[in-house]
Amino acid sequence: MSAVLPTAEVPAADDLLAVTEDVWLALLGDEAVLLPRAVPAGSPFDAAAWSAATTISGGWQGVVTVELDESVARRLTTRMLALPEAEEASDSDIADAVGELVNMVGGNVKSLMPGPSALSLPAVAAGRAAFASDAALACRLDLAWQGDPVRVSVHVPQEGPR
Amino acid sequence: MIIDDSRAMRSILRRIVTDLDFETSEAEHGQAALDQMHAGVVPDVCLVDWNMPVMDGYTFITEVRANPAWRDVTLMMVTTESEQRQIVRALAAGAHEYVIKPFTPDAIVDKLSLLGLVPA
Repeated sequence: MSAVLPTAEVPAADDLLAVTEDVWLALLGDEAVLLPRAVPAGSPFDAAAWSAATTISGGWQGVVTVELDESVARRLTTRMLALPEAEEASDSDIADAVGELVNMVGGNVKSLMPGPSALSLPAVAAGRAAFASDAALACRLDLAWQGDPVRVSVHVPQEGPR
Repeated sequence: MIIDDSRAMRSILRRIVTDLDFETSEAEHGQAALDQMHAGVVPDVCLVDWNMPVMDGYTFITEVRANPAWRDVTLMMVTTESEQRQIVRALAAGAHEYVIKPFTPDAIVDKLSLLGLVPA
C-alpha cells in the first residue's frame, strides 16, 4: 500500500482498501480474501495482462485504475458470469467483467471525495493502463488474490505550473 | 428487466432474480430497454444501472415515467452512483428503490421484498 502526494486531496489508502475489499467480497463471496503484497514504491505492475480505468470529473478530479494478472482476470470473469468450469471466458467477457470491476471501485471512490462529480464509462485494455503525462499517482494498493497480483491505483491531475 | 451495459452484472442480477422465480429480459442500455417495452415487453420491475452508453438509467426512468401506459412498472436503480444528490434525483424522477453497487444478493431480495414483489 502506498500513498503519494500527501498534500493533495486524495483518498486514504485504508479507504481505497475498504472499497476494494467490499467490491471483491460482493463479486466473489467467501473466496474474496485479498492479501497485501509488498512491492517497492515506483515499481511497475509486474504482471499486467488486463487494466481498466474510469475517470471522475467535477467536484473532484481523478482516475481510478485496476490492473490484473491474466489468471485473476479470467477467474474473476468466470465467477461473475457463472461460466461452467469447462468453458473459458472470452477476451470480450474479460473486458466486460474488468470494466465492471473498475466501475464499482471508481464509483465508490467517487463517493469518498468531494462532489458533485461524474463517473466516466470504463476504458479497458489488454495490457497496461496509459495515463496522461500530467497525472500523478495519489494512492496505490498492491494486493494478491489467491497468490496472483492485483493493483488498484488512483491518479490525480498534477498540480503546479506545466 | 435487467438494464446494465455489463454482461457480467446482468448475469449476477439474473441469477439473483431467477432464484426468486422471476422471468427476465435484458437490455444493455436504456434505449434498448425502451425499444423492448415499445415492442410489448413491459416488465413488472426494471433493475436499472445509471451509467450506460446510448441512454443512461436516469433518462430511461424519466422516459418510462412520462408514459402513462407504463405507470405500473416498478423501477429500481442498481448503480455505483452513491452521492445523495444522485439518489434524490433518481427517486424524484420516479425510481422506487435504489441499490448501490457493490451489493449482496440479500440487498436485492430485501428491496424487492420492500416493494412487495417477493414474499417477505
